Amino acid sequence: MNEIRPLDIPVILGTTRKQRMSFHAARFVYGELQKRRGVVTSLIDIGELALPVDDAGEGVKDARFSAAMERADAIVIVSPEYNHSFPGLLKHVLDSCLKEYIHKAAGVVGVSAGVFGGARVIEHFQPVLRELGLVSIFWDVNFGGVDKVFDPGGQLLDPAYIRRTEKFLSELIWMAKVLRYGRDNVPLDKE
Amino acid sequence: MQCPSCGATMNRHAEKPIKGHAEDTTHYDAAIGGTVAAIHTCPGCGKVATELEPVRSA
Repeated sequence: MNEIRPLDIPVILGTTRKQRMSFHAARFVYGELQKRRGVVTSLIDIGELALPVDDAGEGVKDARFSAAMERADAIVIVSPEYNHSFPGLLKHVLDSCLKEYIHKAAGVVGVSAGVFGGARVIEHFQPVLRELGLVSIFWDVNFGGVDKVFDPGGQLLDPAYIRRTEKFLSELIWMAKVLRYGRDNVPLDKE
Repeated sequence: MQCPSCGATMNRHAEKPIKGHAEDTTHYDAAIGGTVAAIHTCPGCGKVATELEPVRSA
């Protein structure tokens, strides 16, 4: 296995709304990822990408986002749940790439004001991730009642999330390592 | 395929169907209903590259 290059796992903040509580969740997960040895990470705010909305795919692709996805071995998507699903702009950003995602790991962090912690948005993501060529992991992090999980300054109030995020990231990193090995070394079988 | 960034031999690890594109007679595969993009990754630098598969006769 290639141990020279560290695993690259960016965190995507999937909402552009003002006063978004998902920002605190994304920053927290980003901070936990920074503690992992052999991992480099970054926080990508889709609000800073400013993709046009009158076209799709290659027609709106952001060069920096595309390069970040190409470098990535896995991605963490931090998504709020809006009317039981993901923000349209997040889907628009994800849809701007394709080859960059193939055979890479993905974990979803759900954020909601209600008790379900984005469980529905995480489920909605599964067919999307599959079509994008990403491999979904079976651990999630659910930030339910998010206004009580973080204080207004973004300080974590519930330490249980440290343990939950640790499990989530361990699974994601395992999958990222295995898939990198596969991308680098295992050719597609030909009939 | 050789890596356009570092020159290493890339690994061809996936084929992705892209529906439609019937106008692309060189690559459109009627059995698939679209073109097929082969995905290559460089084990040296992680670069990703694609190439469309030519149509195969039945």
